[in-house]
Formats: sequence, structure tokens, C-alpha cells
Amino acid sequence: MTARAIEDWQVTAPEGAASEVLALAPPDLDSVARVLEWASLEGRPVIPWGGGTHMGPPTGAPPEILLLTSELNRVVDYQPDDLTLVVEAGALVTDVEALLAERRQSAVLAEHAAGSTIGGMIASGVSGYRRLRYGPTRERILEVTVATGDGRVITAGGRVVKNVTGYDIPRLMSGSQGALGVIGQVCLKLWPVPEASASLSMEVAAFRSLYRPLALLETERGATAYLAGTAEEVAGQAQAVGAEARAGLDWPEPLTQSTQIELRVPAPLVAAAVEQVRAADAESFRAQHRVGVVAAGFAEWSDDRLAALRSWAEGQGGAAVVAAASKQDVDRWGAPPASVELQRRVKEAFDPRRILVPGRLPGGV
Amino acid sequence: MPWETSHAPRQHELDACVTCGLCLPKCPTFRLTGSESASPRGRLAAMSAVASDIAIVDSRFDEIMSFCLQCRACEPVCPSVVPFGRAMEGARAETAAQLPHRARKLRALLLGPNGLGSRAAVRVATLLAAVGQRLRLDKLPVRLMTRISGLRRIPLAPQSHLGVLRSSVGERIGSIGLLAGCVQDSWFGGVNDAAVELLARAGYDVHVPTGQTCCGALAAHDGAVAGAESLAAINAAAFSEYDLVVATAAGCSAHLAGYSEWTQSGAAVEDRARDITVVIADAIAAGRLPTLPPRNQEVAIQDPCHLRHAQRIINEPRAIVRAAGYVPVEIDPDGMCCGAAGIYVLTNPETSDELGNKKADQVRASGATLVASANPGCEMQLRTNLGTAYEVKHPIEIYADALRSSYRAAGA
Amino acid sequence: MSFAADLRAVLADDQVLDHPLDLHVYAKDAGVTPGIVAAVVFPESSEQVAAAVKIAAKHEVPIVARGAGTGLSGGAVPTRPGLIVALTRLNQIEEVDEAARTAWVGPGVINLDLSAHTMPLGLHYAPDPSSQSACTIGGNVGTNAGGPHCLAEGTTVSHILALELITAEGEIVMLGGAEPDPLGLDLVGVVVGSEGTMGLVTRILVKLTENPPEVRTLLLAFDSIEAAAAAVSAVIAAGVVPAAMELMDQPMIEAVENFKSCGFPITAAVLIAEVAGHPAAVDSEAAVVAQAGRDAGATEIRIAATEIERDLIWLGRKSAFGAVAYAAPDYYLHDTVVPRTRLVETMSAIYEIGARHGIQMLNVFHAGDGNLHPLVAFDAKEPGMLERVKAAADEMVRVSIGVGGALSGEHGVGLEKRDLMGEVFSPMDLDAQARLREAFDPKGLLNPDKILPEGSRCYDFGLVANLEPDSLK
Repeated sequence: MTARAIEDWQVTAPEGAASEVLALAPPDLDSVARVLEWASLEGRPVIPWGGGTHMGPPTGAPPEILLLTSELNRVVDYQPDDLTLVVEAGALVTDVEALLAERRQSAVLAEHAAGSTIGGMIASGVSGYRRLRYGPTRERILEVTVATGDGRVITAGGRVVKNVTGYDIPRLMSGSQGALGVIGQVCLKLWPVPEASASLSMEVAAFRSLYRPLALLETERGATAYLAGTAEEVAGQAQAVGAEARAGLDWPEPLTQSTQIELRVPAPLVAAAVEQVRAADAESFRAQHRVGVVAAGFAEWSDDRLAALRSWAEGQGGAAVVAAASKQDVDRWGAPPASVELQRRVKEAFDPRRILVPGRLPGGV
Repeated sequence: MPWETSHAPRQHELDACVTCGLCLPKCPTFRLTGSESASPRGRLAAMSAVASDIAIVDSRFDEIMSFCLQCRACEPVCPSVVPFGRAMEGARAETAAQLPHRARKLRALLLGPNGLGSRAAVRVATLLAAVGQRLRLDKLPVRLMTRISGLRRIPLAPQSHLGVLRSSVGERIGSIGLLAGCVQDSWFGGVNDAAVELLARAGYDVHVPTGQTCCGALAAHDGAVAGAESLAAINAAAFSEYDLVVATAAGCSAHLAGYSEWTQSGAAVEDRARDITVVIADAIAAGRLPTLPPRNQEVAIQDPCHLRHAQRIINEPRAIVRAAGYVPVEIDPDGMCCGAAGIYVLTNPETSDELGNKKADQVRASGATLVASANPGCEMQLRTNLGTAYEVKHPIEIYADALRSSYRAAGA
Repeated sequence: MSFAADLRAVLADDQVLDHPLDLHVYAKDAGVTPGIVAAVVFPESSEQVAAAVKIAAKHEVPIVARGAGTGLSGGAVPTRPGLIVALTRLNQIEEVDEAARTAWVGPGVINLDLSAHTMPLGLHYAPDPSSQSACTIGGNVGTNAGGPHCLAEGTTVSHILALELITAEGEIVMLGGAEPDPLGLDLVGVVVGSEGTMGLVTRILVKLTENPPEVRTLLLAFDSIEAAAAAVSAVIAAGVVPAAMELMDQPMIEAVENFKSCGFPITAAVLIAEVAGHPAAVDSEAAVVAQAGRDAGATEIRIAATEIERDLIWLGRKSAFGAVAYAAPDYYLHDTVVPRTRLVETMSAIYEIGARHGIQMLNVFHAGDGNLHPLVAFDAKEPGMLERVKAAADEMVRVSIGVGGALSGEHGVGLEKRDLMGEVFSPMDLDAQARLREAFDPKGLLNPDKILPEGSRCYDFGLVANLEPDSLK
């Protein structure tokens, strides 16, 4: 790394990042790899940064270098007839979905993604509400090109919708929290957008009579089923449950509280998880029935509340993850997974000097 | 040459296997052990190993081959149509020839012309069994004895259909030579009663020629080549004159269908051989035997392997039970072997018991207390494992009983 | 103690095979290449699997997991004297959770048995490889198996929530969980499809899928493969993703009809399409498929009116490999995937290769996701035939890769396609895969020589370790 390169690529640290970090926005993935190689040699902790929308509370060693993917933002190859899209990681989710919408297609990423990048969404392991129908985001990552912690640029997977050629590194990148490498480019599997959709306010108990809904959500304001399909199917299902159908999908607004905790539990326990967050005085919550995710927002931080919710969720074989905290030094994940030793070894296979967000993965990996 | 007999597995039989593995889940011994060596594909691989001089016919080869039930459930699912049952009889012929131990020689004697093929010998065995039943010897904890509990009640006076001649009733369709069966004739006489009566009503002249003998299936399965050959030759001569040769035990009819392997004139028998269920079901379908009014009672259908797998006869027993007025109930979509498998019940008792229990559980789960089974070995196995609360009959007996009672009712 | 004696010390007599005849029997799976076996064990618990792995590790004997041995790429065949861990006795369907739509199963459970078991609950296990009557869930996990209905439902990996893994060190570790997005890296996704190179799977939490309330199965006849492929693209372009879209060419249709007589029209191409879902949707979706067929010049369109007609259509499709086995003594099967839009040109190239090498070729494939299965029927006893078949095979694979395709869609790389990995990936890419494998199996004892070609792990790429800080400045 030359001082010149650092100068050329340096930018102001983005909002939400510590101001003392060296923020770099290299022009391409090879340059990203050079930074990582240099950081590995110097032993400087690095944090990859997309839109900064899903960073969660700071966890692990504080980074010295912040790597922005903002310069990697091209749509490389869109093949509507193949239902595949190759795009660079720094592209904004909203831009990409707008492009796909012109052909009535979607990558089925999170519904609220203002400011989020494709790479950031993948690395953070974020899925949209429509995962009930289409599966989580990791189902749709067909190919990745990644700069590893020690500065190698590698590609895995392929631009076809079905593939067992080699190990599934693309899927591994989902939820990797930037600990394995910086995602430079991905190929995503797309879905056609059904011709009709509707939102139905109804009782949770009536959810069970619906066939393949897009999502079944419950918030502090009530329960809503989201349907999509042919016009006859949507109308027929709405009529069968006797609910009034509003055309289109009116997703609930994202949580805004400074303290947010996400419970992840086996799907049949969502109702119980809702009771838990209500009892914990949640101001607002978003429960995904049949999926098992209940995200709740709270007016202020409380260690006791986190401990109580976590103890309950972990007791059910799940987890309570802190998505946002108004306090420093919180335990984001709770009890580490049983496979923590394997997780550590896998991280080191990609990042032998452990410079990428060290300690950010569960169990301090 | 690794093989010594003319019945040995043939290269084209072994080469036909493409090793796809689709036979594995249908094989009862693979299901029990999870072992490739206990599967059809594995057994063919072992035969191929010997054929290509990679292995020899040793005790392990013998074990692998002897563990096979010869149920032939692998055959219907085989895309390459490997004649597995034939190849296995060849492998058994080789183990018998190359590893002639005492138990095997004794079995060859018992299964050959001087054992099952001898009326005198069967009569002695029958008498012993009848006496044993009366002394309640089946309550003794001795394996051979508990098997007696699977037998029907045997009269002390010897019974046989040999020599019976019955002319057709009504329009004559043709002549039938009935293979009475060594065990069937002495111990399951009710089946042959029903067969003679129904065949005559269906328009056949029925004859049970005295010159016949045991079909030789059990000898062939056990590799007792000489016995199987001489029994087949006797029967080929005894049954040369009839339009059809009909057997009332599935194991016998399946063996007749492969007679050309065992005797020069066997091909003529093969072409005319029929299982009784096929002839009766055809007669019912053609209206030569009546369809009786429904009686709203269920009958569990047990498919003998040599009917279902070896001959692909599936619908006929059901059609007969239905024509008798009963509701046939399925107990096993795969038609897996009950474990009797000829003398397997004696040579591999543990495996046989395990399969016998499974089959009994399937019957119990069906709720029916009357079971239709078209083979004497299966019938005994079912009775042993089900106990006295269940009745097991040949489908043609069930039909004949219903027919008789309908005539009685009409007469009254 | 000897290897076998060590095994017998922890396992019962009927759980260990080491007679040369048994070792020969276990030397092959459904692929074409035989291997070398040192011993076979039949563990009946996770602990026994772990114990066997530890013993093998102590003796430095390679370990190869095996289910029903129906794999087509040699994945269950040891290349050097190895221990086969037959997982067939771990065949319990332990618990079915109707509310969660999940089941814990042993790896030895047969795919179709699981669906039969859950049928009364209105649920089924979605991946349906053609060998589903015989193959095991554990084997499906090993190869990330697919099947016709993976077009809409995804392959095996989309249906596995958690795994119990026996590591190379013989430790028992749980990966994943019943909750969504289990904490940490997605190691379940790494293990699924890893062909036993990351560990041995002893318990599996599978997702069950609701049986669709209505199904419409269509059979469309075309007078060219191009027309059929155009219909497939038109269906997708119309915004419909059917449950399955399968294509058969004339030689395959003839072979199937000869084998099973399913009433298929003898024509250049038959497309089988199935739409499944809500009763109000299936008819309009079937209409979209039919219209796409008409627009593409379909010469005949049938919609199965009864369950029997539907079963007959699927019997024809699922009998394809059997039909080839029936017609020829040997067959070689490919499994490449190409982008759907490149189907027609790839097929023409493949036909040209077949004709040039003078080999008989039949085609049946998952047209919806571009997964090709050109099937070469031949007689290995014919001199020089095997060489010609393999030469043609390599060319076909290169054509597929040339249009941006993949080596294998669902059968696995195993032994047979391993040496073609370099056609798809750079040495640096392969090194990354080798490092990932090393993280799970540092000593290289888990199914060695599979998936990655020899020399994939290149220490030259450890740039950071080799260079001093100053040299970069």
C-alpha cells in the first residue's frame, strides 16, 4: 500500500462510524484486496461498510480501517429471461429493485432498505418479510466474488440457478458479518413478481387457513396477512377468510427505537415470543409468524430485560439478538453456537490474520 | 473356471446389472441389515467377483448367498431386468457343489426325490406332525416344534388328491393337470379341494395325475441340482397331456414357470403353467364363475413373493376375494417377504422371525381377522406369528367357502 | 491392535465387515469407477460413528460415508484403502413436528419413505431425485440432491435446518437449529453438498412442505427441441415459475415408451410441466403454460385429467434412466447446468458432439433450471468405446462451461468430475475451497480426492505469510 493510494481512496468516515478510523473507498475489488493485504501485514483491524444500516451495536475490537464499497456499484449483467442478476456489492438495494421492477421481477431483499447496499444486506444476513414464501436471502446468492482477509480475490458458485460445483461459499457469505472477506460482486437469483397482491387485516388465529402467503405479520397494531399470486387466487383466498383485502402490500414501517431486540425462535413459538416482548414493555414489535422472528423496539435500554428475553429465547432453542442499543458494550449475540470452534477455523481459512472485524461473530470469533 | 455346474450364474445375467441401486429398498435383508452384502446389487457383485476370478466360492460367499430369501422382490423394480432369482439359484448350485457340508447334503436328501419327492417319506412326516399336534409338542421350546403351530390341523388318516379326476360342469373349456404339491397335498388338502371343485365349475376337466411328484422348487432354491432336475423330469412327463398345468401353491407355480432350466422338456410345461389364482380370476372375469353378493367383511391380502414378485400376479387374489363378497384390504404396499421363504424359516430362523413379526404387525394394523394367502409356507408363517385369533386361508378357499354357503342358502 | 480389531473393540461383530469379498462388494456405488475399501462399519448411534472416526483417524485411514450408494459421481467410493461408514442403520424418523413442519431424521432414512410417513399430515419432503425410492436423506445432504420439483422448491440445502456433524476429530457438533438464522456462520450450507468431506452427518432436521391443494400436470409435444425450449423461456417470461418443467428428446421418449408404455407421443421433444398451488391459481397458470406452448408451436397439449393420468406422465419421466439401463448395458450421465437462455445452443452443440464421436445419446433434463442430463448409452465391452464416451463427455462439459454454466447441478462433483474443476475455477478459487475444507478436516482424512483436484491447496497463495511488511511499501 502506498501512501498515495491511501490518499486517493480516503474519504470522510460515514455517519455512525467512529470518526478516528481511516475510511477508504477503493475504486475496485483488487484495490480492496490490496488494502486487506496491507492490513493483514500491519495487523490492523478492518470493518467493511456498505450502507451502514445494519451494523448493530459495536462488537469486538474497534476497527482502525473502514472499507467502503461505495465505488463498487455497477449492475454487471441482468438476464431477465434467466432470472439472474450480477451486481456489485455497493449498489443500493432500492436502485436494484427499481431496475428489476421494470421487468416485474425482484431479488426479494428486505422491503425497507433505504440506504442499504446489496453486499451489506448479504453480509448482515438480513432477509425480507417475504422469506416465508421465497426463503431467506441466502437462498438466492448464486455466485460471489470476495476479497478475503489476506487479500486474495476469489469467486465461488456460478451464474446458474442450480449448482453443486464446489463448496457453497456464496451461502456462507450470508450473515458472515464481514468476518470472512469483503463481498465485491454477487449473482442473485430472481423471482417474477406475481400479477396481484393484497394485504388483509385479520386475526392471528385465521392465518392457518391461508395457502402460501407472502408473509404473516403481527405488530402492536394488529395482524396482517400478505398475499400474492393470480388475481383469482388472491381474491379467492381473501374471500375465503372473510377479510377485507387492500390491494398491494402495505408493509409496516421499520422500528425506530434506539433499543431493538430480535428474538429468533422455532416457528410455532412466535405467539409465545410476542407475549414475551409485550410483557417486556415493547413499544413496538414486528412478529413474523411461521418464520420465527420477532423484532421489538423499546423506549430505553435495560440489562435485565435483555437477560430475561435472552434466557427465555435460549431456553426455547433460539436466540435474542441486539439489533440496536442506546448503550455501549452490549453482548449482541448471547450464548455462542455449539460449533464455535469450527466457526473460528472457517474464519481463519479466509482471514488468517484475523483482521476483519475480529470478535464480531458470536462467541468472539 | 470358477464355476463348476451348468446352472452357475451366467455372464449375461451378471452384466445386465447397471448397479443403480434401485433394488436395495425392496430387499428385506438389506432393509434389516443396511448392508450392501445383503442386497441384490451386492450379491450380484459378489457373483461377478467369483466369475472374474477376483474371489472364490468360500464360506463368506456361501453366507452372503444363503442369507438371500429368494423372494425376488428386486426383480420388478430392476430397470435392467436382471433375472436375479435365476442367478441366485445358480449361485446356490455352486455353493452346494463346491462346499458340500453335511447339513447341506442332508437337506439335498430331504428336498429331493427320496424326501419331498417320495410319497412314503411325506406320509411318515405327516403322521409325525399329526401326532405331534395331538401331543401339543408345538408348546415345547424347540424350534422345529413351534413351527407345527403354523400347520393346519392334520388328520391322522393320510389325505391326498392324487388320482382325482373331475369332469367339467357345463360348457367344457379345456383340460387341466393339477399339481397337487408335496406339502400342499398332505397338509393343505382344503386348497386342492377348492381348486378341483372350482376348476370343474369353471369348465375344465381336472385331473391330478398320480405320476407327479414335488415340483422341485425347494431343492432348486437350495442348490440341490440333481434332485431338482430329476423331480422336474418326472413332472414334465406326468403333465405332458393337459391344456394347462395348474399349481395351487405360489412357490410351485413360479417354479414351473422356469422349468426349462431344470429339464429338457421343461419349456412345454413353462408355456402351459398357471397359478390357480390366475385361472380362477379369469373364470370369474369371464362369468364362468359367479360374483357373489357383498358381505361387508374385510380380508387382509398377503402377497406371496412368488406370486407378486416372481410372477407379477397382484390383481388376481384381490379379484377372487372381491368376487367372494369380501373387501380386500392392503397390508403392505411393497409386498415384502413374510420370512417363510421355503426352508429359510429353518436355515435362518432369526431373520425369518423378524420378518414374520413385521408381517403379523401389518395384518394386525389392518384390523381384518381373516387373511388371504396363496402359498402354504406363507400361511404357516402367518399362523405361527398371528396366533389363533386369526384365520388364514387361500383366496380360492375363501371364494369356494362363500360359493358353497350361497348354494346352501339358495337350497334352503 | 490392527485397524479391524480396534473397530471390533467398540462395535459388535455384525457391525464390521472386512472379508475381501465384502470389501469388493463395497468398492462401487452407482457411478462407473471402483475404489479400494479397508473395512466397512455399520454404526447404530452418533457415538458409534464418532468412535469409528476416531479409530480411523488414529490409523490414518481415509473415511468415506455411504448411504444407499445410488450416487452417480463416485462420491461414496474410497480412492485409497478407506473405511466405509455405512449410515444405513441410522434410519429412524425420530420426530415429526406438525406445527413447525419439520422432522428429525437419521441419514439412513430413504427419501420417499419420509414423504410416505408424513403424507397423512398433508406434508412431504420436497427434493425428489429420480432415485428417491432408494436414495437416503443423508446421501441427499451429501450431494445437495435436486430433482424435478426443485425448480420451485429449491434443492436439498433449502430444506435442511440443522445437522448433527461428526467432525474429522470424532467430536459431535450440532450445526444450525430450528430457529431462523441460527447464530454465526452458516455451516449447514457448507456441509450440505460437501460429499462427506467436512464431516459425517448423523442427524438431520428437515423442513417439510405443505402438499399443494391442487396440481395440474401438462404434457406438450413439439417438433423441435428449440420450440420446446422457447416454450420454457416463454413461461418464465410470463411470470410463472411452475413446480417442474422437464424436457425429453425423441431418443429418450422412444426408450421410455419401449420400457414402460406411458402413452407419450413419439416426437422431437416432449415438455412436462406441472403447476401446483391454490385451486384458484392452477388453472390460470396451466393456461399460461399451454398458451406459451401454443405460441411456440406445440403440436399437442395434454392436461392430465385424473390422478392416474398424472402418475402416468411422471412414470414416464422418472423411468428415463431405467429405460436407458433397459436399452444398453452401460450408460454415462452428465449433470451440467447452463443459463436457461443458452439451452438451445448448448443442446445443438451437444448433439453435434455426439454425432461426431458416433455415440448414442438420449436427453432428459430439468429445462426450468437449465440442468442438462445428456445420457450416453453404450457397451463398454466394445473396444475403444469407453475412451470415445469419455472424450465426448469432456467436450460436452466444456461446451456447458463455455456458455457460463456449471459442472454439476445436483449429482455432485465426486471423483468423476473432479479433474474438470479447473475449467470452472481459477487456482486461487480452488485454493480458497481447499482452505475451507482444511478448516473442517486438517489431516485430509474425510473422503480425500473428491470434489477438488489434486494440488488445489496452493501455499503460494498465502501471500501474507510469505511477505514482509516492507516489501509492499
